[in-house]
Amino acid sequence: MGHLTEISALPAGIGLYDTVDISGHRNNTAISAATETGAGAFNVWRNSFAAEYLPAGGSLVHVDGVPFEFPPVCEGPDNIRCAGQFIRVPEGRYDWIHVLAASERRSEDTVELNFADGSVDAEALRVSDFWAAPPWFGEVRAFESLVMHYPHHVQRGIPAVMWAQRVPVTRRAGLTGILLPRNVAVHVFALTLQRTES
Amino acid sequence: MTVEATARTYTITGPEPELWYRDLISCLQATFGSVLARAGADPLAVLGAGWEFLHVPGDVRSEEFYYPCADGDLGRALAPHHDLGARWWQPADEDDVWREVREQLAADRLVIAAVDNFHLPFRPAYGDVHAAHLVVIHGLDETRGVVHVSDAMPPAFRGAVPIQAFLRSWGSANPTDVQDAFFSDSKIGRRCLDVRLGTQPAPLTPELLGGYLRANTEGFTTETSARTGLSGYDAFAAELAERCRAGDAGALRELYPFGWAMQAQASLHGELLRRCGRDWDDPVLAGAGRAVESVAHAWTGLRFTGAHGLDAPRAVTADISHHATLLRGAYARAIDAVGAAAARL
Repeated sequence: MGHLTEISALPAGIGLYDTVDISGHRNNTAISAATETGAGAFNVWRNSFAAEYLPAGGSLVHVDGVPFEFPPVCEGPDNIRCAGQFIRVPEGRYDWIHVLAASERRSEDTVELNFADGSVDAEALRVSDFWAAPPWFGEVRAFESLVMHYPHHVQRGIPAVMWAQRVPVTRRAGLTGILLPRNVAVHVFALTLQRTES
Repeated sequence: MTVEATARTYTITGPEPELWYRDLISCLQATFGSVLARAGADPLAVLGAGWEFLHVPGDVRSEEFYYPCADGDLGRALAPHHDLGARWWQPADEDDVWREVREQLAADRLVIAAVDNFHLPFRPAYGDVHAAHLVVIHGLDETRGVVHVSDAMPPAFRGAVPIQAFLRSWGSANPTDVQDAFFSDSKIGRRCLDVRLGTQPAPLTPELLGGYLRANTEGFTTETSARTGLSGYDAFAAELAERCRAGDAGALRELYPFGWAMQAQASLHGELLRRCGRDWDDPVLAGAGRAVESVAHAWTGLRFTGAHGLDAPRAVTADISHHATLLRGAYARAIDAVGAAAARL
């Protein structure tokens, strides 16, 4: 687990941050228990993160000061494998979209930000490889499973990493939704909006 | 009673091979990197100098180390601006398969060997998945019955492997394995690579790099009879979409190893340009490097869309075309950026 990560039981929506409910979009299981490694299939080889190294499902975690609602763990789908899903957000002025994410290999794709006035801005979503890789895009190492789960065994020596990345909201308008990329390599575990300071 | 012990230990002199690794390269670049580092060269400067697109229809093999070669010369394909030779060989004598390895090690040379991960105890796929891979042999101890192997790919390993296990891996049929459609079904056949760096690379200067970049960009913008450059990419992408539309899963099976070759090359070239841009205080060159790295990142979307769509090629045709379009754009921007940087060098 990264040194900037804290886990707490504080309620969501604290300070400048609003966690986003993505539960209706989860379509992939990336985390598995050591007793059932075959239940996870983050990537095409059906590797998965080891639950024992990650926060409890549904807990509120802080990564570098940003709160995220950690997804359910070992209770079905825990992340969005990106396929162009549209995530509606409470309309508001935001400066940053914080993303808890991981990728099968380094990915650099685009999210489209929809605004109440009808404007749409494309912004880059850059996510480093989850597989024993450095934070190539300068992300924060949010959580790290020190072992890799394979369908039939637990593999030491290959860590699986979940990154905290962020996407800027440059337009000074009310954000209403986020269109994720059509890119199955990119997985989103949690989203948090950082409101514009008034 | 006298026991005669025959010295049957062969190992390279000096330290064990460097584990040279980047997160977008395959075992091909990693093993070449180890050999280059031991030869006193900078692996990134050699393996990152060239950048091209080349697709050879019908040539793609289901191996992690597949790399397209215009004339069958793997050394030239990986390092077109350097005196790097690479030759595949197999043991000549079935009754003494270690003879050439002994000779190479006795001559203080590393041996790159093809293996099947299924039989190697240090690989995650051990006893589970068949997959073609490359490792470096840096020692052979027939008295103790071990081969000394190094492998930079995670989980990195340097150590002894029982000869019998290695022989099973080195001589594996690497049969079709449903768990790995991309790197199985390719006979290993005790293949080895002899990689030799001839002339030591000259120190990399802006003038020298500028020449490399101009040659690379010319390769992208000049049409040839082969599938090279941007026109070659267009032909490749059009055929890929057409084969998906026709339900040809083979197109996606080939895309994964072929795309890895192109992705790895772009990542190394981009890193080299970014490093030189920083060292030479040239932000235009650094930016060109970053643009080339975006090509590598765009390969992720195409490769993994194909990998996940292997069972339903028709269903992913639109997404394959989408990512092929994104990748085309990344290539075009990078060629433009590299051309602009080269003009200043």
